[in-house]
Amino acid sequence: MTSSPAPSDTIGRGVRRVLAATFASLLLVVLLLPVGALLARGGTGGVLGLLHDNELRASLALTAITATLATLVGVVLGTPLAYLLARRSFRGRALVAGALDLPLLIPHPVAGIALLLVFGRESTIGQVLGTFGLRVVGSSAGIVLAMLFVSAPLFVSGAREAFARVDPRYEAVAQTLGDTPWRALRRVTFPLAFRGLLASAVVMWARAVSEFGAIVILVHTPRTVSVLSYDRFTTYGLNEVVPVAAALVVLALVPLVLLRALRSDDTGGRSVTA
Amino acid sequence: MIRVEHLSARQGAFKLEDISFEVPEGSWGVVIGPAGSGKTTLLETIAGIVPAARGRVFAAGREVTTAPISARSVGLVYQHAYLFPHLRVGENVAYGAATQTLPSTLLARFGIEALIERRVASLSGGERQLVALVRALAQQPRVLLLDEPFSALDPKRRNATRRLVRDLHREWGITILQVTHDFAEAGLLGDVTVLLDAGRMLQAGPTAEVFQKPASPYVAEFLGAENVLAGTVTGDPVGGGGSRSVVFTCGALAVHAVSDVPDGPAHAVIRGEEVTLSREHQASSARNHFAGTVTDVDPHGPWARVTVDVGGVPIVAMLTNSSVSELGLTNGESIRVAFKAFAVHLC
Repeated sequence: MTSSPAPSDTIGRGVRRVLAATFASLLLVVLLLPVGALLARGGTGGVLGLLHDNELRASLALTAITATLATLVGVVLGTPLAYLLARRSFRGRALVAGALDLPLLIPHPVAGIALLLVFGRESTIGQVLGTFGLRVVGSSAGIVLAMLFVSAPLFVSGAREAFARVDPRYEAVAQTLGDTPWRALRRVTFPLAFRGLLASAVVMWARAVSEFGAIVILVHTPRTVSVLSYDRFTTYGLNEVVPVAAALVVLALVPLVLLRALRSDDTGGRSVTA
Repeated sequence: MIRVEHLSARQGAFKLEDISFEVPEGSWGVVIGPAGSGKTTLLETIAGIVPAARGRVFAAGREVTTAPISARSVGLVYQHAYLFPHLRVGENVAYGAATQTLPSTLLARFGIEALIERRVASLSGGERQLVALVRALAQQPRVLLLDEPFSALDPKRRNATRRLVRDLHREWGITILQVTHDFAEAGLLGDVTVLLDAGRMLQAGPTAEVFQKPASPYVAEFLGAENVLAGTVTGDPVGGGGSRSVVFTCGALAVHAVSDVPDGPAHAVIRGEEVTLSREHQASSARNHFAGTVTDVDPHGPWARVTVDVGGVPIVAMLTNSSVSELGLTNGESIRVAFKAFAVHLC
């Protein structure tokens, strides 16, 4: 004998579904409507602006280049740390992991102020760099540094997960087949973690591109797109800033598309085990 | 050769403690134990994947306790194969191969050369185990550790693969240590058996000895001995130590045995296949003859497990189904039970 659900159960389930769909739709509207409106109003202007607006073009190039440099530095310095955090247990591991979250938690202008304290012209490091003709404040190097500070933790966190998803027994088997630990890492672990590492680098790059608070404290000029859009908004008003902001949105869409492509891969986001 | 001396290791919360045994050069050792007994941890410690906390490990004729994994000349095949998913079958097998031609030779010998271009994700569990075996063998290791390497193979393929690995073991003189749950496999392949439970070694030694002379009632029951009886040993003292003729008493049952255990409480282990049943008393060299009543006939594949009540003590005999038919055994019938004094192991 089978029992059918009571009518009150069916009604209750229907109400829950409608409520869930309504809440989800509201959130999506809040997320997508402003971006859609910006693209609708300034999308064409942004593209045309790239043709005529030299300042916007230079700003976009500067943003892309500095974000790429910051990402490269983050990948080079962050990959070994991510591997250590994923694979080894050592004294102070929790402290290191916690320290990595710090830049994500503090307000970004505060991050800029902290960087200014350490790398500003008056600071010891700033003075040492100055003797070699290097400066952080008001230079592209400052932009890279600010981007690195706020976005590298995202890479390390993602890369750590990418390594953790690869079962360490693959490395062990490679070593029983004659590989040294480094060779096993290069031939087995890196290829298996590659998509996760790449996705983490893309997230870092996207975060670096969109950074404003820390950059504007350290470097006002040369201007990244986020600083340029703020300047134009405060100087010329909403109409002038919309094409610049739209261009920034388009730039941010590049990593979004890349991420989707990476995550639709077979092993993306899943553990690599036997 | 594989030798471990007082080996202890820790993996997470699990501890492997004070393990000592030796698998001589060119021999085949088997490790048996329930799930969670530390079988895989033992193999991983010998391979160097889990560091030894105490004790010493010898492999391929030298001490390797602190040697890097890659310098131990020890191959390892996990139950779950751990084939590299980013490489094709051919690339997996060539990984670490001793010569360029050996991978294809071995793939052909194991009958899986058609898999060479396949991606790992497309392989069945059994195919993965075969490829993992070939990959480990292709490096021609002097010592090979196998963690339930045949578990995903169908019975026909399992037998054929066992034979192939045994042939290579003999041809190349590889020393093998294999984890298995299959007692028949252990009896078939193992020169040496190591019994583990909860991270400790219960017994180790030549396989026949471990199965016939379990060190404790627990080991006997674990190894599937049908009759493990608790009782008391009495016998004549003998000079100079060694075995003596004794009587083991369990309730109304008095069993003759040959043993070196001292007088007092003990357990008697009698394997079911050592017990014979007959309608009439038959003259034989067996010293133990009893009259009993059949209480249960339980067929198990080609075998039947026959329980006979002997003075209130249940004695189990393992007979072939045809023997059961010939004897016409049914519950409640009277029957004669016999076994040799040497078939009784006291511990």
